[in-house]
Amino acid sequence: MRFANTAEGYGLLSRVLHWGIALAILGMLGLGTWIDRMTPDLSNFWLFGLHKSIGLTILVLVLVRLAWHRYSPPPVLRAMQHPWELYLARTVHWSLYLLLLAIPLTGWAASSATGIDTLYFDHWTVPPIAPPSESLSDLGFAAHGVLTKMLMLLLLLHIVGALRHGTGPGSALRRMWRG
Amino acid sequence: MTPLRRPPDGRMRAALLALVLALLSVAPASAATHYLLDGSGSQVGFSTDFGNSKITGNFPVSAADLELDFRDVARSNVSVTLDVRSAVASFPFAAQAMKGPKVLDARRHPTIGFRSTRVRRSGNGAVIDGALTLRGVTQPVSLYAVFARPVGSDPGDLDHLIIRLTGAIQRSAFGATGWPDAVGDEVQLDITAWIVRVD
Repeated sequence: MRFANTAEGYGLLSRVLHWGIALAILGMLGLGTWIDRMTPDLSNFWLFGLHKSIGLTILVLVLVRLAWHRYSPPPVLRAMQHPWELYLARTVHWSLYLLLLAIPLTGWAASSATGIDTLYFDHWTVPPIAPPSESLSDLGFAAHGVLTKMLMLLLLLHIVGALRHGTGPGSALRRMWRG
Repeated sequence: MTPLRRPPDGRMRAALLALVLALLSVAPASAATHYLLDGSGSQVGFSTDFGNSKITGNFPVSAADLELDFRDVARSNVSVTLDVRSAVASFPFAAQAMKGPKVLDARRHPTIGFRSTRVRRSGNGAVIDGALTLRGVTQPVSLYAVFARPVGSDPGDLDHLIIRLTGAIQRSAFGATGWPDAVGDEVQLDITAWIVRVD
């Protein structure tokens, strides 16, 4: 089993990062929607901490993935039926990376601006990245919400695109799953 | 001077033995007496709803200045200053949220002040109408006051007193509107101040 990427296939680390981040994002979309709608009290307050901790984990994993792909470039996208499909696939990939950095960062900044400590898994206090400010906090949370809606749309495009590319040997989905 | 006996947990417990009427019967015939904060045990307890739970906590009283006239209560004056930055709550996030920019904004408004505008006798105590300044906004507030002597002091000894003020405020009236869906608007206050005669 190859650890690094090759020109033909994804190595183990890229695949684990891809599916790990994917799982975390799906969980976070559900958890984020849930805590946004619930009435907070002492019994469910810990869910905010969990959301922040998973979000920071996703941020780190995305940075690791970007760094890893500079060191071990992923295989190039196979030629598609139409040139616009390749262009769209690339645009969606880079937009996903941007959003997966911007969403945790806006959440972290908005949380910092409330004046409340951000704890990583109830254990470590993460430094604030924005000064206490009601307007910054409101702006940050609004951006966090809008960017998340964009992420949902892009994920849909990403999944539809992958499935459209097929599931047979040499398909993007097969390469991401089995290398 | 009779030493004060403060319960180790900082609360008054059995300290409220005598009420203001008892004091009135033995008060000297002179006019207002000047009192200041005595020691550091004075505090403002608060509580408010948080979903199905409650948030409680307290602020230290950093200053109190009182002119008390036990014969003509209406000639009394009370002013109290609180230290917002040293407030604590029943869980750390609540204290941080409360001191943060969405509620009390402690960085810009480190103190809360109350100054009486009218004092009138009511039952065993007094109703103190006054102006409360919180988050830079001043609004009228009425607090109910009772006085007590510390445990062990003589009935006629008015050198050391305890004033307890209770009441409630609507935090939205002061612009302290953060987390309106989760945290109640009405905040119950229970102020206990240990005061000492200075003239």
